[in-house]
Amino acid sequence: MPSNHLLDAKGLTMNFGGLTAVANLNFHLNKGDLVGLIGPNGAGKTTVFNMLTGVYTPSEGTVELESELVSNLKPYKITRKGIARTFQNIRLFNELSVLDNVRIAFHSRRNYPIVNAVFLTPSFFKAERAVKKDARELLSILRLEDKQDEKAKNLSYGQMRRLEVARALATNPKLLLLDEPAAGMNPQETEELTELIALIREKFALTILLIEHDMSLVMKICERIMVLDYGVLIANGTPQEIQENERVIEAYLGGEV
Amino acid sequence: MKNTTNKKNLDAYLTLIAGIVLVLLNVVLLAGKMPAYYSGILRFVGINIILAVSLNLINGITGQFSLGHAGFMAVGAYVSALVSIHLGWPLILALFVGALAAALLGVLIGLPTLRLKGDYLAIATLGLGEIIRVVILNLDITKGARGLGSIPRTTNIYLVELVAVITILFTVNLMRSTHGRALLSIREDEIAAEAMGINTTFYKVFAFSAGAFFAGLAGGLFAHSMGYIAPSNFEFMRSIEILVMVVLGGLGSITGSVVAAFVLTILPEALRGFAQFRMVLYSALLIAIMLFRPSGLMGTRELDVRSALTIFKSGGEKDAE
Ligand SMILES: Nc1ncnc2c1ncn2[C@@H]1O[C@H](COP(=O)(O)OP(=O)(O)OP(=O)(O)O)[C@@H](O)[C@H]1O
Ligand SMILES: [Mg+2]
Repeated sequence: MPSNHLLDAKGLTMNFGGLTAVANLNFHLNKGDLVGLIGPNGAGKTTVFNMLTGVYTPSEGTVELESELVSNLKPYKITRKGIARTFQNIRLFNELSVLDNVRIAFHSRRNYPIVNAVFLTPSFFKAERAVKKDARELLSILRLEDKQDEKAKNLSYGQMRRLEVARALATNPKLLLLDEPAAGMNPQETEELTELIALIREKFALTILLIEHDMSLVMKICERIMVLDYGVLIANGTPQEIQENERVIEAYLGGEV
Repeated sequence: MKNTTNKKNLDAYLTLIAGIVLVLLNVVLLAGKMPAYYSGILRFVGINIILAVSLNLINGITGQFSLGHAGFMAVGAYVSALVSIHLGWPLILALFVGALAAALLGVLIGLPTLRLKGDYLAIATLGLGEIIRVVILNLDITKGARGLGSIPRTTNIYLVELVAVITILFTVNLMRSTHGRALLSIREDEIAAEAMGINTTFYKVFAFSAGAFFAGLAGGLFAHSMGYIAPSNFEFMRSIEILVMVVLGGLGSITGSVVAAFVLTILPEALRGFAQFRMVLYSALLIAIMLFRPSGLMGTRELDVRSALTIFKSGGEKDAE
């Protein structure tokens, strides 16, 4: 029946020792949604991403992608099923080139047996040419094409965040999880990123769940916003509804709104 | 920009020199003009190249700190020697069986220990190497501490060279493929690698067992070169020697491993009179690298033939500059 659901999180709970970082979280994402996940520091947002991507196994509850249980899978398998992410505390392959960072993310889509690589068969060269082309295409979409030979660690902050997005896209996701993609960016970069998110969403027919502290970005592009406070979902609605929600104002926005 | 051009030129000349040295050595060898003593040293150079490159695959490329390489070498040495002695199989087959045994052990041991990270993995692999040695020390078939003799001395320099070239080609081709990039991504950031859809457990076990396979081959060549092996050939310090080669050459640089294996095999021979200082020399070298050039002699750079060819091509361009 819920054929339009891409993702279903049911009763997600994460305990760290005595601390319950996320408590009984229920939500779903429809195909094509662009949803914001907000909340004060330490509310449990990143922990939600870690459960959705298999970095943490939920203490309780399940995650289903297109009605298929994925929360019992290893992270790499979840990625192959179609959930990709970026990291709040940037996790690029620092010593490798920008191009290699993206090529690595094509691993499961453009694979060939190890023997083909060792014996340099024609199919190896063919696959490698295709990977290079695909990777460059993604880099140009994220405006990193002239940085392809640079080591990832030498990029600027904004470029690193964009490379994280390029890398996630290379895995061919259905659902893209962005963990504070604008953190550390100046207003102009944030503006450009906002446009980029809209662009890739169209181009790759993505569903996006976005954690962000920059309210201007969240309110502008998200059609729906979920608010976490101390691991509990306290609100779930349109930006308008969230801005007027008493509990949210109290817990999170405080005097700002 | 200027700097990278200079580096490229340097790489090109180094490649050329390396090529010339290799050709000259083979010409002298083929002409039968090489005294046995020197060709013996060259065999050890080759064996050490195989060991260093294969350890680099585990330590430098995949970033899994292993201290058990001498153990895998021992398995290859003993298994191939026993196959030769008791079954009388041809050398190639004996070597292969020994390498396979080492690789299998790599998988068996790899699966449980590769959950460990950093120091813990280093300690576990160190323990593994010692266990292998102690088992050999206590088995009847291996003749314990007395050592295993009368192994046919069928290894020759050309075979060593061939296996070394195969090891290098395997590793270089692997590194330039999606599988090599998967290994590198594990070294760089394991969590991110998984998030990119890479089966990190598989690749860690693969690196471990492929490294063990080639170490096993090196062990087999060693056994059939010496004619006699004992557990003392495969002590912990042997693993350290190989590690020093990898670190000196540069973690992740295949060229570096080859050059370092060459230098660190020749040098102690040249300094024979100071044999007791060999380990002091290694330790001092290790400290010096850590202080002055943590990325090793070569960093992550590689020599390749294409770069050498540019010397001849770019002659005209330079004049124009
Ligand atoms: N691996 C862990 N072990 C123990 N506690 C953890 C772990 N990961 C997160 N926590 C705790 O869980 C809580 C939620 O952390 P989380 O990182 O999910 O918050 P967040 O909403 O992403 O915050 P921020 O906005 O600062 O990124 C915090 O109290 C954090 O200290
Ligand atoms: Mg967070």
